[in-house]
Amino acid sequence: MDNTIAPSSRRVVIGIQEPNDLDAPELPTDPLPLNMGPSHPAMHGTVRMVVDVEGEKISSVDVQIGYLHRCFEKESEFATWTQVFPYTDRLNYISPMLNNVGYAMAVEKLMGITNQIPERAQYIRVIVGEISRITDHMTCLGASAMELGAFTPFLYMLKAREWLFELLEEVCGARLTVSYMRIGGCAYDLPSGFAEKLRDIIARTREVLVEVGKLLERNRIFRDRLDGIGIITQADCLQFGITGAVGRSTGLAYDVRKDAPYLVYDRFDFDVPVGSVGDNFDRYAVRVEEMRQSMRILEQALDQIPAGPHMINDPRIVLPTKAETYNSIEAMIAHFKIIMDGIHVPAGECYSYTEAGNGELGFYLVSDGTGRPWKCRVRPPCFASTSILPNLLKGLFLADVVPTFGLINMIGGECDR
Amino acid sequence: MSTGPVLPTTAGSNAPPPPSTTETVTVTIDGKVHQVAKGTNLLEACNAAGANVPFFCYHAGLSSPAVCRQCLVEVKGQPKPVPSCYTPVADKMEVQTATPKVLDVRRQMLEFTLVNHPIDCPICDKAGECMLQKHYFDWDGKLARNDGIKVKKAKVVDLGPTIVLDQERCILCTRCIRVCDEVAGVHQLEMSKRGDHELLGTAPGHKLDNPYSLNTVDVCPVGALTSKDFRFAMRAWELHSTPSVCTGCATGCNTDVHHSRGRIYRLVPRVNEQVNKHWMCDEGRMTYKAVHADRLVAPMSKSGGGAVEWDKALDDAARLLRTVLDGSPARLGVVFNAQSTNEDLYALSKLAFDHLGVTRAYLAGRDQGWSDKILVSADKNPNTAGAFAVGAGRLKTLLDLANDLKSGALGALLVLGTDGVLVGDKASAAMPLDRLEALVVLSTHKNAVTSAAHVALPLAGWAEIDGTFTNKLNMVQRVHPAVPAAGDALPGWDALSHLARRLGATMDFQTAKAVFTEASSKLAFLKGADWGRPVRSVQLRFANSRG
Repeated sequence: MDNTIAPSSRRVVIGIQEPNDLDAPELPTDPLPLNMGPSHPAMHGTVRMVVDVEGEKISSVDVQIGYLHRCFEKESEFATWTQVFPYTDRLNYISPMLNNVGYAMAVEKLMGITNQIPERAQYIRVIVGEISRITDHMTCLGASAMELGAFTPFLYMLKAREWLFELLEEVCGARLTVSYMRIGGCAYDLPSGFAEKLRDIIARTREVLVEVGKLLERNRIFRDRLDGIGIITQADCLQFGITGAVGRSTGLAYDVRKDAPYLVYDRFDFDVPVGSVGDNFDRYAVRVEEMRQSMRILEQALDQIPAGPHMINDPRIVLPTKAETYNSIEAMIAHFKIIMDGIHVPAGECYSYTEAGNGELGFYLVSDGTGRPWKCRVRPPCFASTSILPNLLKGLFLADVVPTFGLINMIGGECDR
Repeated sequence: MSTGPVLPTTAGSNAPPPPSTTETVTVTIDGKVHQVAKGTNLLEACNAAGANVPFFCYHAGLSSPAVCRQCLVEVKGQPKPVPSCYTPVADKMEVQTATPKVLDVRRQMLEFTLVNHPIDCPICDKAGECMLQKHYFDWDGKLARNDGIKVKKAKVVDLGPTIVLDQERCILCTRCIRVCDEVAGVHQLEMSKRGDHELLGTAPGHKLDNPYSLNTVDVCPVGALTSKDFRFAMRAWELHSTPSVCTGCATGCNTDVHHSRGRIYRLVPRVNEQVNKHWMCDEGRMTYKAVHADRLVAPMSKSGGGAVEWDKALDDAARLLRTVLDGSPARLGVVFNAQSTNEDLYALSKLAFDHLGVTRAYLAGRDQGWSDKILVSADKNPNTAGAFAVGAGRLKTLLDLANDLKSGALGALLVLGTDGVLVGDKASAAMPLDRLEALVVLSTHKNAVTSAAHVALPLAGWAEIDGTFTNKLNMVQRVHPAVPAAGDALPGWDALSHLARRLGATMDFQTAKAVFTEASSKLAFLKGADWGRPVRSVQLRFANSRG
């Protein structure tokens, strides 16, 4: 047997499915390695894909993540528990509030103060979190539509996202690097007139969703590139640990807010939308419906939110006011110790998980009883979804990479940490 | 004229204390039964058993007056909480260290202490390592209930040459008084007045000027006593701490070097019950200053016209020494130094005795100085014992060196460490170095010897290297590198290895540990000595957690 292998056929190609609706017979071609990214408009947040194509068809994909690795977990070991918040902003940077909430709740769980968080703070966390979920999905869908040539829906969605970002800016002073949560509550109360503004924005955002739906959902170009492309099964989800909108698009109705309710989510009436096919269009449709459900939650939360403090009442956890700090030695020491040594978290470990924009965002924290995390491990939801991409893209056309990758919604900041 | 270091004939006054008696009593602490040596202080017994009893006035190295009332615990049968630092354990004693009553009393005592405490943390030297801050955060944690006017006292009291007192910050624990009484053996501090007007101070016209005065700053639980040397120089929590040994005298007090960004800010004593207990002298604390002053930072060569690269300097040194060696090997002299580590001394002895066959070796070092019966030794060199042991009877005195120089018996001299060699003009005249055909000097500092040298090689100092010193009790103690070496300086064993290779000898030491390992297999005084583990410097901010 001749053992020599020609260089052009060195790559083993397995399991290419022949598209049935192609008229032309398959022409034999050599595999062509093609580089997408890391700097590429459709490679969100710097990821690199080395794609082997035969003609237009993908025979194998090497998805290379890590370009946005910032040593988040290691850095956290050298920051006090509170100083980690700015790092969490930069995980999924489209919905930083959700990361803030997830981390704050993890530390609170470790400290055993989860049920001491004031109700108002819990409602505020739900409200800013759901706003962030909407901005997250808006960005994902708008960008995906734009990459398929539909620039108008992108602009419409970013317009609505801008209203929400401006509202968040009123709450905490930043659009993206919010650092709004604190251990024990949130940094500030909601500004005056917040509820009215949010209700108004919800009404206008609903219109935007209708408009965008009209532009996209019966659009032949859009549908052809989503329907039946990139099908993920429920078994895949369980195998790869895929959660969130991608998981629900397969019909797997797993939503942490429903299945393990945290904060005050058990007090709201909302549905968990699921898909039936698990293709790109289902991922689009699930996200659109989730935005509508988030708006339902927001309206109920605005109705229910009670008055009261927005921070826990414990001088060992909460920074004293400036007036107290400058005028009493007790508050001065408390301020000094919280800033310099950090809040003392009892020794132990915990896993705390919340529903973030991309699915189950988990924090596994280990404390040795000092003011700094001994370990701060993140379970980034889009890491799981990204890991299925090599299997998912194999056999698709090169042009399918863009919508499939876009609707997986890999966020570099979160995936690479 | 200096004669160099002298080996003491008897061991110093700091012989290890005899072991305590083995008689024990049974004490129940927080529900668990413990066997404790009879006569143990209850506070120590509780904390050794894992309880966390706070204290201000208690100090492990001092007597207990029970003035701060912070260590109160409940003892079964006693009507009121008792100060555990003042109570010896008794058989069948049942102690509770964290009952609601105890916690409440602890909190109330802190509230009292804080009533008149000034709001000084942002400008206080002790902030970050302050026991009052720690105990408030650990045991009180409540905001103020009182916004009355605080009692005003003097903020800047000049107590003496080394210390400034802030009377408002003082929490009246009397630790400093006891340090002077019980360690320095002089009664220089005293309390006056009563209640919240009580003041710490010296008697009128008197100063706090004993040679152990800076220990009062260490034991002060708050920022009342501050060192003039360290005051406002650096925030304590920014400092990194590296264990080391004081090189001021032959006692070898264990120290922590506190440094930040390559600069040393202070030395503080590290507890070693067999050497210095909890203390060190003021003079020893100031030895860090020399680490950053007048250092030789680059190799110098006369033929190279000043500062040169290491390679050039080593080539020059080897060539000069080789010329003399080829003529008459007996005309080469080698100077050891009692300031060097055992590793440097061993490397030099290996080069000189084993490879070059040197017959004229001398021991230099600092002159004898003052001493007391507490910690200060007359021998001002950290490694006299090690140098004599490495020399093994082959080392002559500096007097012999001067005579040999005058008689012209020496044509070349290799000097490791210039301390004690020709310091000042008088000595220069006594030691005619200019007659030498080759003077090769390894030195940490710039001085008259390095200027006279044909080749001067920069040596890393004690705070910059790994190594061991042997103190006057023949204890081999380790120093760790705290700051990077000044300029291009190298450890002595490293520079000597390079020089040895250029002289045709095979010495290929890569680490100080390798030198130590080889030395300890050959030298009796290092037998059984353990190199220990490498340490990472710990930032004081996290000193009680991890580095």
